[in-house]
Amino acid sequence: MVFLTLSCWIRNRGPDRYWKVQEVLSNARHFRGRKNRCYSLAVRAVRRAFVYATKARKIKRRNMRTLWISRIAAASREHGMKYPALMHNLVKSSVEVNRRVLSDLAITEPKSFLSLAKLARARQQEGFGAALSDGKEPPGVFSRIVTLQ
Amino acid sequence: MTSRGTPSRFLQSVLQNGVGRYVCQLKRISLIFSKNGQSSLGAREFIEEGVVDFAQNNPGTVVYVSPQSCRIPKIVAEYLNGNVKEEAITSKTSQQIVELITKLTNQSGLDIIRIRKPVHTDSPSIQGQWHPFTNRPLSIGPIGPQKQQTN
Repeated sequence: MVFLTLSCWIRNRGPDRYWKVQEVLSNARHFRGRKNRCYSLAVRAVRRAFVYATKARKIKRRNMRTLWISRIAAASREHGMKYPALMHNLVKSSVEVNRRVLSDLAITEPKSFLSLAKLARARQQEGFGAALSDGKEPPGVFSRIVTLQ
Repeated sequence: MTSRGTPSRFLQSVLQNGVGRYVCQLKRISLIFSKNGQSSLGAREFIEEGVVDFAQNNPGTVVYVSPQSCRIPKIVAEYLNGNVKEEAITSKTSQQIVELITKLTNQSGLDIIRIRKPVHTDSPSIQGQWHPFTNRPLSIGPIGPQKQQTN
């Protein structure tokens, strides 16, 4: 008598389950709790982490810009100006410095930022003067529009 | 591939390399190929034509050419900071191998991972970094040398 059906019940599973699991777990090693050890929990957590990472690429740009704006606003308030006034008057004086560089100047080069704030303040005063005087006085120095030739 | 899950580094050069003299960071380059094998055809062509010129143009790099019986021909580049980079050159033409080798010579040995900022300075602040007392006037008044009291 020979038992043949026993060998038919043995299944050959896939040979590389370990590496497929490690591929996922290696992305979860810095997580908190059982999500960094147990595969079923880790799969879900890793997928969420990747989704957040994809979405964050746009959000990072937004966050950096708001950070720069709040830093420039704080620095300009130290010099007695508000952020919208500073930016508008810098644009009107054709100083095209972006918010990233302005916030770096405010941190590492406070005197240059002070001079930019004074420039914006002067342009603002000229704007007020031009609005109130109705064209009788000569236009101010910083309100001149320079054309390149 | 999150930014926290993958390693990252700041932009730097190895020991301020270009400031004075430039030292090529490639220490050793080993060409492993097989003498008879279709995948090593480009490697053999490169060894016939280009290896000697490359070795003469880069006197600071040691070039090893080792024919072995191997399935995939490789270039193993070792750098001065200890990093080893292996690149497979199966079924590449001689021209592609030349481009690959120039790329490896121009690299410093630093890891190719995400660089956090595209800039780096050793002296970020010239006028003095801001602190809460930068824009505040002194409460005492201007500080000068002490007048000697006449007794």
